[in-house]
Amino acid sequence: MTLIRLDDVSLVFHVRRHGRISLKEYLLNGVFRRRKQDSFTIQALEHIDLEVAEGERVGIVGPNGAGKSALLKLLAGIYPPSGGCRRVFGQISSLFDIALGFEMDASGWENIAYRGYLQGETPASVKDKMQPIAEFSELGKFLDMPVRYYSSGMLVRLAFAIATAIEPDILLVDEVLAAGDAAFQAKAYQRMRGLISRARAVIFVSHDIDSVRRLCDRVVWLDHGRIRAAGAPDDVIRAYLRQSAEDAGKKAA
Amino acid sequence: MLGYLRKVWKVRFFWITLVRNDLRNRYRRSIIGVGWSLLHPIAMTAVLCGVFARLLGSDLATYAPYLLAGLVTWNYIVAVMNQGCQCFFVAESYIRQHPAPLAIYPLRTALGAGIHFLIGLAVVLVFTWCLRGFGNLPALVGLLPAVLLLFVIGCSLAVCMGVVNVLFQDSQHLTEILLQILFYATPIIYPAEMLRERGLATLVAINPLAALLDLVREPVINGRLPSLQAVGVGTAAAALAAAAAVAILWRFERRLIFYL
Repeated sequence: MTLIRLDDVSLVFHVRRHGRISLKEYLLNGVFRRRKQDSFTIQALEHIDLEVAEGERVGIVGPNGAGKSALLKLLAGIYPPSGGCRRVFGQISSLFDIALGFEMDASGWENIAYRGYLQGETPASVKDKMQPIAEFSELGKFLDMPVRYYSSGMLVRLAFAIATAIEPDILLVDEVLAAGDAAFQAKAYQRMRGLISRARAVIFVSHDIDSVRRLCDRVVWLDHGRIRAAGAPDDVIRAYLRQSAEDAGKKAA
Repeated sequence: MLGYLRKVWKVRFFWITLVRNDLRNRYRRSIIGVGWSLLHPIAMTAVLCGVFARLLGSDLATYAPYLLAGLVTWNYIVAVMNQGCQCFFVAESYIRQHPAPLAIYPLRTALGAGIHFLIGLAVVLVFTWCLRGFGNLPALVGLLPAVLLLFVIGCSLAVCMGVVNVLFQDSQHLTEILLQILFYATPIIYPAEMLRERGLATLVAINPLAALLDLVREPVINGRLPSLQAVGVGTAAAALAAAAAVAILWRFERRLIFYL
């Protein structure tokens, strides 16, 4: 059963060169019929065809700026496609930008609750989850403190603990494994494996090629907003790494 | 539409918590806490009473509650419009991360401002009761539809201002200027009779804010249910604002993230 379907999807950003337009500018341009094209057009994604069936774990690799995060956000429903059709059959759980969305003046405990509420939980259902999340984060007494005073490592542990305390249907993951110290990384990896095995479908973006190879059964190589190759992990990864080495060599020369 | 409201209801604990946090953070480091939001209209009332009561020849026992009720309601409108302008920027990190119906952010603004309004209203009632008592207690029931209409208008204004300010960032400044002008064009400091005597009755009749203020002031000050005209204008304004908010959300919600 198909859970995700992207048909010829594209995503375009129009970014103004000098910040945002003001009402005055907008009216003046209208009055004097000036066509000030003072903006960048960024083609983030182009001609993306993707189909993910139940049980599939798809990895996405590519250089920086290829459009991987844009693709995930489009799948999550944060960006509407500029062209083409996006169809998702299931509940999306996303793990990206997990350090965002903290209420800085609230304590760790409260932030655990807030994240839960954003996902539609009630105080009753969140209460059961609080203790396991707290234990996973290993923050102990620090959870009583306002999050504003946490170190970046603590924030990332808490964010990861909260974000992964879900029962995912369709899981979208963007670079969340770079979290915490070595010991925590090992725990985090185990947790991710658990999540991935429980989810009905997973789309996994990472620069950690090893994780992609281990966790995914299909890999897509994204470059400059287009799908360059898709197929068996080893083949696609080999091609991608070869290309990356070539590019690095060219730049050094 | 119903599906949308259901989605908003689904994350109700999230926006309720945001409202609670807003209230808590606002007064975190102050001693009298919520008292600050009351001090402003009370102080303004005291000053304006001192200055204008004599000028307008009004009796203090009538003028002071009139002024306070007007100021508390006006402050609600101002808060909802100014904070509404910022509501999507303030919530940007949530919007970028987690798709949720965008209406929850203006809703949070309107609720926060609404709570301040209700507290202010309570103070007005206590104040009026101490100063002159209530001639007609049952008339206070008239406050309920007033509060309801104000809430609908508040949410709608927050939605409209929020979206417009994301699209055109100088809207906030324009709004502030507009509100300043409206403050003097609306019978807040002076009674509506002053405008009517000078042949400016239409100015009062078409000003929806004047009608809303009357909805609050009539039951409290005069012990009467508000006039049918005030109710009509107020309801029409609320309906119009709500329609505008729904239209704006319907048109811009999906693309709003591209403008943030």
